Amino acid sequence: MANNSLELIEKEIKQYIVVMVGSEQYGIDIRYIDNIVRMQKITRVPKAQYYFKGIISLRGEIIPVMSIRRKMNLDDDVFTNASRIIILKLEEKGSLGIIVDEVKEVVNLSEDEIEKASGKGNFINGIGKHENDLISLLEIHAIVEETF
Amino acid sequence: MDVSQYLEIFIDETSEHLQTLSDCIMELEKEPENMDVINEIFRAAHSLKGMAGTMGFKRMQHLTHDMENVFQEVRSDKIKVNSAMIDLLFKCLDAIDGYLENVKASSDEGTEDNEIIIRELNDFIAAANGEQPAEKAGKKEAQPAAAAAEGSTGRKKYFDFDVDDADKEKLKTEEENGQHIYGMTVYIQKECLLKAARAFLVFKAVEEFGQILIYNPTSQEIEDEHFDCDFSFFMVSEEPFEKVFDAAKSVSEIEEVVGEEVKYETLAAKQEKAEAEAAATAAAAAAVVPETAVAAVEKTAVTPETPAAVLPKSPSSASSGGKKQTVAKPVTNRTVRVDIEKLDALMNQVSELIIAKNSLVSISETESGDFHNQSFHEQIEGLERITTSLHESVMKVRMVPIESVVNKFPRMIRDLARKLDKKMELYMTGEDTELDRTVVDQIGDPLQHLLRNSADHGLEDNDVRLEMGKPEVGSIFLKAFQEGNNVIIEVGDDGSGIDVDAVREKAIERGVITDEQAESMSQKEIINLLFLPSFSMAKKITDISGRGVGLDVVKSNIEALGGDVEVKTERGEGTTFTVRLPLTLAIIQALMVEIGEEKYAIAIGSISNIEDIPVKDIKYVEAQEVIHLRGKVIPLIRLNQVLDTEPKEEEPTSLTVVIVQKGDSQAGLVVDELMGQQEIVIKSLGKYINNNKIISGATILGDGEVALILDVNVLM
Repeated sequence: MANNSLELIEKEIKQYIVVMVGSEQYGIDIRYIDNIVRMQKITRVPKAQYYFKGIISLRGEIIPVMSIRRKMNLDDDVFTNASRIIILKLEEKGSLGIIVDEVKEVVNLSEDEIEKASGKGNFINGIGKHENDLISLLEIHAIVEETF
Repeated sequence: MDVSQYLEIFIDETSEHLQTLSDCIMELEKEPENMDVINEIFRAAHSLKGMAGTMGFKRMQHLTHDMENVFQEVRSDKIKVNSAMIDLLFKCLDAIDGYLENVKASSDEGTEDNEIIIRELNDFIAAANGEQPAEKAGKKEAQPAAAAAEGSTGRKKYFDFDVDDADKEKLKTEEENGQHIYGMTVYIQKECLLKAARAFLVFKAVEEFGQILIYNPTSQEIEDEHFDCDFSFFMVSEEPFEKVFDAAKSVSEIEEVVGEEVKYETLAAKQEKAEAEAAATAAAAAAVVPETAVAAVEKTAVTPETPAAVLPKSPSSASSGGKKQTVAKPVTNRTVRVDIEKLDALMNQVSELIIAKNSLVSISETESGDFHNQSFHEQIEGLERITTSLHESVMKVRMVPIESVVNKFPRMIRDLARKLDKKMELYMTGEDTELDRTVVDQIGDPLQHLLRNSADHGLEDNDVRLEMGKPEVGSIFLKAFQEGNNVIIEVGDDGSGIDVDAVREKAIERGVITDEQAESMSQKEIINLLFLPSFSMAKKITDISGRGVGLDVVKSNIEALGGDVEVKTERGEGTTFTVRLPLTLAIIQALMVEIGEEKYAIAIGSISNIEDIPVKDIKYVEAQEVIHLRGKVIPLIRLNQVLDTEPKEEEPTSLTVVIVQKGDSQAGLVVDELMGQQEIVIKSLGKYINNNKIISGATILGDGEVALILDVNVLM
């Protein structure tokens, strides 16, 4: 056992938070995640890009919140009790919240469990295989990128 | 000890002195006979030299020294001020500024010797002194003798302090080993700013030749500047006394060095007769006369090729000069230098405090059941007062007059006038207007650009002006003043104004607009085309302006500071650029309004009044809703349309209109409900959301809700 886990470390394990958006499971690299908060009142910002739901205040900071559904051209969000805002921390542009339908779990994926994405949409950089589930791994920078 | 800890002070003070020099030289050009100005210049130049020397910047010191010589000649009426000299002096200032920039960048002055300027300076002095060389030489010889005579009495303080036995033993051993013992007392000039640094340089200089064994005061005290203007030491060396002595003398800002070779017995004898000091000194002088050397090193005269000109004509004049310097010593303000980051942190904490206070206020208002208590309300009111005044104090600390930016402009305009060969005069008012430090730091370039524009494109050539019946000398003005929550800086000229037709043609030619667009554009819209990137009106490209990176950069710089810029122009009368800047960057008083279900804040500073307007009073001009209010026609802006909110209900019979003001123009903002005035903390929306700048930021209300702040200047 001990040997096994050592080997795994050498293979570089990445931790992902698995979230649900629609019927698909997405994984977000834990290094980008600052916080996960419950859904709260989002203040609409007029004339902002359509995929920005607005802004929230978190510990005295103003944080813009993006609808990942709108960004990926899915149906609009329906907020439930399970809805969460994931606060991402990005060095270049500061904090950003994205809305997900549900936060499921944290998984460890080693390199050989990840299949590099094969040109299917640019929001995903790989597919993780975990206990018979497939997890689409989000490319955070693509989500942050401006689209018109 | 290390001089680098003084670097910051050096940089600050040097810039200050450079500014004083620049101002004074400008003044001198106008009033060449004004003795006060000349003295002021002399003092500034002298301090500059001293400081450069202290820091070991030899080239800078050399240049300032020669510059000071010129002032000296002016002061003693040997040279008359003329414009060639003023030009040369400005060249010097630029060169010194160059050194300073190098120092800032690399803590070193660089390698530029500026020999040409130095030669020109010396030519000036030579020309002035040409008539009287004989007299000068005579004085030169007479003087050291006089100084020596004065110096040898009672100045040898190195015999005045007690040497303990251990030290005496050391000296004795060294002497027995064939070393020479030298005693020295160094007098530093009274006005010297960094005495410890001076002392350090002296020690460094002499320690190249030997070792210092005894200090008085102790080396620690010297390092901490716990001494008056003199210090003494005993050292041992193999080198002849003159070498060591010259090394000590060569350090600048040393008034005098007294020293001699001391035999151990003499020293021991001295110490025994310590109580009879005066007699002892005399005896010592007698005992070792052949090796005694006393030199009066006047100020920083170190360069051999700049001779008697700066030396005092007699010891008495030296002392009176010294007195004058003490009078001129800057009155030290009771100030501290604070890192702007610390102020930012303080500001943030005050912001947090205000948010916390706001939420207390809102709790006390809503949950009156639990808190219906007189003293609770009183406490909250007290807290409100304190946070408001705390905020004001912090803001005031961050405010600096724009003077520090604009005071370099007169010089710039003078240079431009020469370069462009146009006569012009700059008139400035409101230099004491205060702005947040961060704004002041960044406003210099845009203003400079606007001034250059006025000088280059705005003003006509002198002969053209005369033909048009205008005064030959063009005027450029810079006016700063406060208006509500804004500071306005107007930069303008009485030149030809902007040729709107030429701008239109150029815009069409460059494909910026089409013919049809040009037809329908108002004069103001056409002029605003000037702010588009790469739209330069310069007929010929000069190195002053007209490279096509002009007004668009000015505009974007000012907008980055949360301000805006406008142009007004009158053909033949002149052009005025109006720069509007926010007074504060973080906390403002705002009117909270409701539009639809949403809350918005409007800065109180831009609101002129609030009106209830019956719907039937709304008129139409060019399909635009307007109201007629006290003789003014004011356009209405329906905020619910601009902000895409749901209309609240059926059209009411009267509208609540917030009249806002921007310069001379007004607009009426239609809101659904007024919520009252509040102190709000401005928070940025971050870099992700872009929304045509209607929203300048957000704020967190007492109940934790977020409200957006409307930028009225963009709406209008």
